[in-house]
Amino acid sequence: MGYDDSDRHEAPDGELAPTAVKFLIAGGFGVGKTTMVGAVSEVEPLRTEEYLTVASKGVDDIAGVDGKHTTTVAMDFGRITVSPELVVYLFGTPGQERFWFMWDDLVSGALGAVVVADTRRLETSFGSIDFFESRRIPFVVAVNCFDGRQDRTVPEVRTALDLDPRVPILMGDLRQRPVSRDVLLALVDHLMARPEPTPVP
Amino acid sequence: MVSHWADETPDDDPEDSFVRPYTITHGRTASAREDLTLITVIVSLLPPEEQLAVRGLEPEHRFILELCRTPVALAEIAAGLNLPVAVAKILTGDLIALGAVAARAPVAVAAGQGQNVRLLQAVRDGLRRL
Repeated sequence: MGYDDSDRHEAPDGELAPTAVKFLIAGGFGVGKTTMVGAVSEVEPLRTEEYLTVASKGVDDIAGVDGKHTTTVAMDFGRITVSPELVVYLFGTPGQERFWFMWDDLVSGALGAVVVADTRRLETSFGSIDFFESRRIPFVVAVNCFDGRQDRTVPEVRTALDLDPRVPILMGDLRQRPVSRDVLLALVDHLMARPEPTPVP
Repeated sequence: MVSHWADETPDDDPEDSFVRPYTITHGRTASAREDLTLITVIVSLLPPEEQLAVRGLEPEHRFILELCRTPVALAEIAAGLNLPVAVAKILTGDLIALGAVAARAPVAVAAGQGQNVRLLQAVRDGLRRL
């Protein structure tokens, strides 16, 4: 399906609005997700929150009360206006993975994802990588190297993260707009390089 | 914060608000429209003078109408209102029902259907200009 030919007939009013696509910027707490969103967004990253209903765990459980509670998760996002017809949104996923994994509206419909990693604590990226692999959401890995400090090589990171050889790994200081832009370009190239789906007759 | 109802700036700290989010929706906790997503783009269909003539709107509805004079995603509406996305969906759904705003659904991206080549090329061209 082309991006400019959907819903034209059902919703002519909607033509007044551009179509939107989204990418997810994921990774452990404090690895630089919002930094990357801010580096490429045309606006200061915006913050919004959502209520999620989650199964209760641990000491908060009260016997006799059903094991669910509502929690609030916050996320930061940014925007890149490509043209009057097309806007790209970048959503930084909330730090608490067990919550955003259940946030269907955040995850569904994402074209692809960037997993931001910090070589000093690569293990914080495992959850996001497993999640995108299981949901078949294409992703690239961006190793955030503040001030160009690279203490690991790409092959070392690939081995440590047990990544498929086709998953691109990029390294750089994500505070720099060209670096974060190149990560997104690598993601788009990765999406375009994927095999054609079986044509629908 | 007493000025909440009259204040149109989006910068208020939600912690300052004494109004519970679902009070604004008259107790509704689910949107009548399940098709609204974080990146559904909303645009106002009414010129400003007609917006004023619409009766029965909460200040939050009017804030949305104002914001949507240029198209914005639902996530931006929620951020601008300082309210959770679920609440922004209910309020925006009210305005769609009134015919005051239109919604543009995002591109459908199903698993294995990532080959929107023209779309991806357009995204790439846009990113290159950054």
